[in-house]
Amino acid sequence: MNTFAHKYMIITPKELQDRIDEFTVVDVRPETQRNEFPMDGLETIISKDGSTQTIEGKKVLVCQFGIVTEGMIIENDLDDTFSLLGGAQSWIEFQSENEDLSRWSRQTILPEIGMDGQKKLLNATVAVVGLGGLGCPASQSLVTAGIGQLVLIDGDIVELSNLHRQPLHGTNDIGKKKVKSAEESLNKINSATIIKIVDEYLDEQNGLEIIRNCDVVVDATDTIETRQFIDRFSKETNVPMVYGGLSRWEGQVAVLNMDKSPGYSELFPDAPSGGDTCADAGVLGMLPNIIGNIQALEAVKLIVGIEPNLVGKLLIYDGLNHSTNIIRIG
Amino acid sequence: MKIKIKCFSQVKYALGTDELTLEFEMGKTTSQLEQLIREKADGKLDGVSLRIAVNQKYSPDEIELKDGDEVAFIPPVQGG
Repeated sequence: MNTFAHKYMIITPKELQDRIDEFTVVDVRPETQRNEFPMDGLETIISKDGSTQTIEGKKVLVCQFGIVTEGMIIENDLDDTFSLLGGAQSWIEFQSENEDLSRWSRQTILPEIGMDGQKKLLNATVAVVGLGGLGCPASQSLVTAGIGQLVLIDGDIVELSNLHRQPLHGTNDIGKKKVKSAEESLNKINSATIIKIVDEYLDEQNGLEIIRNCDVVVDATDTIETRQFIDRFSKETNVPMVYGGLSRWEGQVAVLNMDKSPGYSELFPDAPSGGDTCADAGVLGMLPNIIGNIQALEAVKLIVGIEPNLVGKLLIYDGLNHSTNIIRIG
Repeated sequence: MKIKIKCFSQVKYALGTDELTLEFEMGKTTSQLEQLIREKADGKLDGVSLRIAVNQKYSPDEIELKDGDEVAFIPPVQGG
């Protein structure tokens, strides 16, 4: 049995619709599920164990979320049989909204996300300020999760010493603007994501205009001053700010200015002295990768409306002993 | 009374530990404890702004500590 070949025996709702005459569609769901979630626009044969030996030609098996039928095809070594990606859930969404969300079927199966949550992500715009150690993993995870539009802001250029911790940039990107390099890498993941690039540093002049039309701003910067600008504009526009910062093996994440929750100036009010940058103190690439991913996770939770989250809280993670402290800040 | 102190980033580097327990007479305040920490750091925390959290909650105002309290000293971090 060639299980590797079976990995490719999936078909999306859109593909099925375009090629409907080629297939017999077999619904393997129990009656209660079939009744509660009818698949409009599709003629199906009912067969609860997916047995299709008497049916000639190519078949598509359908279950509720698209997982069970993949298993059936592999276990029973079924030839000429496809599994509908995302199952009946994705088909129904495609029929009613003309949107094929099956690409995200492995996350829409989570009750906290579902089809509604996925649509919120697709309709969201997230600004990522800084495409360095934090901004690369954050923007990568936001794209893979299905955020519809990203605004990437950074005036910097890719250097060799960045590459150990900024994985959207490779050897061939040295000398390129970071936002351009990031855009190219992210386009390879999903060319349907709308990406707007701003190849300037965020400052007093441009910050308001950049942030005002976003749903969330991810602070992936490396200066206190820029964080203070982001904080100011985040407060003015009511766009929540996902703060992230690093020092050697430690990282911090907080969700600020969410419906008037504490901001950066409440978190660190004393116009603080900077602390080390990654260049000064050193850092291993996994640390910004972890922290940037926690920032992306919090951004997704804000957009979908998932709790608990880090609104009004400061998370401090230590990559040496893996301790996590969560401090209530307001 | 015994106070557990948690040290983060620059405080940890300055004191060489992420945690220590100190014993005091009653009546110690957060400001006095910060002063003590800065003295122990022997200049390494000069100019470094510290936020104080008592029992996992930010404490912007000076408060009197109790036996068993956990006090965290948190500096801002800059890297990104």
